[in-house]
Amino acid sequence: MSLKDKYAIVGVGYTQQGSVPGRTSLSFHLEACVSAIADTGLKKDDIDGLICYRHFPASSDENDLTPFKVAEHLGISPRYIYQDANCSRSNLQNAVGALEAGLCNYVVISFGHNALSSDSLFYLLDEFSGDDAVFGHFGATGGYALPARRAMHEYQTGPDTWKHIAVGQRKWACLNPNAVMYGKPMTFEDYMNSKWIVEPFRVPDNCLVNDGGRAIIMTSLERARDLKHKPAVIMGLGAHHPCLDIKYATAMAGPTGAKKASEEAYKMAGITVNDVDACEIYDCFTYTVEVTLQDYGFFEPGQGEDWFKGGTIEPGGRMPVNTSGGQLSEAYFMGLTPLSEAAMQIMGRCGQRQLGPKTKTKEPEIIICSDNGGILQSHSCCILRRL
Amino acid sequence: MTGYDKPLPKLNSDTRPFWEGCKKHELRFQRCLGCGHVIWPSSIICPKCHARDTEWIVASGHGIVYTYATYHVAYHPGFLSDIPYVVAIVELDEGPHLLTNIINCRVDDVKCGMDVTVVWEDVTPEISLPKFSPD
Ligand SMILES: [Zn+2]
Repeated sequence: MSLKDKYAIVGVGYTQQGSVPGRTSLSFHLEACVSAIADTGLKKDDIDGLICYRHFPASSDENDLTPFKVAEHLGISPRYIYQDANCSRSNLQNAVGALEAGLCNYVVISFGHNALSSDSLFYLLDEFSGDDAVFGHFGATGGYALPARRAMHEYQTGPDTWKHIAVGQRKWACLNPNAVMYGKPMTFEDYMNSKWIVEPFRVPDNCLVNDGGRAIIMTSLERARDLKHKPAVIMGLGAHHPCLDIKYATAMAGPTGAKKASEEAYKMAGITVNDVDACEIYDCFTYTVEVTLQDYGFFEPGQGEDWFKGGTIEPGGRMPVNTSGGQLSEAYFMGLTPLSEAAMQIMGRCGQRQLGPKTKTKEPEIIICSDNGGILQSHSCCILRRL
Repeated sequence: MTGYDKPLPKLNSDTRPFWEGCKKHELRFQRCLGCGHVIWPSSIICPKCHARDTEWIVASGHGIVYTYATYHVAYHPGFLSDIPYVVAIVELDEGPHLLTNIINCRVDDVKCGMDVTVVWEDVTPEISLPKFSPD
């Protein structure tokens, strides 16, 4: 039986974000979960499912962060509990699966990290790089630079395409007082003049490093009707996990897991790419946005620059993308940055940046979202709609 | 050996035969006796057909640059004096994609599709690194 229109995101939890020194990662999980629960009007004891995104290595003054710890401090004893270990992005699928199987009724999915103010990312670099470090290859920027360069070779994309993504998302961030880059506009010249990190990526091609957390709550559409906000209904879900370490990939310029994942999601939803009103795309790097939208069917390889130019994804544009500013300009909370923003837009709760008349865009009936893990090794696609 | 301040590979039962080959300046790979696939990274099974029987071959050391990334920051102090430097994926004639460095070449001259050949850097008595240089 189809899962279409059976489950929904019913609440979103925010925290302080950006530079928030002196806080543990655990404290951000807790703040996000408590605010998400309050956002729905549920009581904490209603929460019987808990899913935590993988934790990056603990900082030197913290212990490993497990969902046991999060539940313990929330004072809950869930019937369903899960945490992924290595960025395999199946959290939404697991939540829907657990709800569908009757394992629980209300699931909170959370992430928290003191990435900016602790030494945690230093340990991540070590864990992440393995023997690649022998040749000076480290972390995600280098990891994504390899497929980005191959894509430049195969279909002539590059900084002239990616500048539209970085600058366009920054415009959205400037409408979002929560965004780390609020009040910091960026021009094409600023983009082109910024420093290389790992070429072909400059500083603004990279997602932010920030402190903070985010959580969402999911339940059945039936239960959602009793809660505070109009639900963001899951009409399509799809996933594909190529798994292969990118350095061994022989089709590095794509298609990525986004292609099969979106085909599956469109099929469940019974729609095509032409029905989509806006996109909330996992944007660890600008190139990730390009290749994901390409694999989702918005344009063919090599047509990205033409598709993006002229403000397509910006306020007032014909296909808004990453309307909070995204991970590039709002804040990085793994897949919860795009998912939570999609839910809030569908609920109509986005203030100045709300899609519709305020931003001279179409009022969103349908938003497509992505989550992505590893170096293009795991992809999950979700289509949300207004009730 | 003193003075080598960069990370070294972790040797285990899966990786040791490759690095032992490198010590003799040979790029050794397993070839599947079931389907002929050249297996990389080395493994107890062939990912194409799950056969367990393999033979070791020595690659020619020639390939092309499949893709590359130019590092302008050093994530490890050992690489500070190298930046900017190029990390590349070399597609060997025998098939495997090998993560390596392109050396003896200006960073701006590296291109996808460029022909390259292995050059060996003996960094410790146990470890020699296969790097690549333009033909
Ligand atoms: Zn085989």
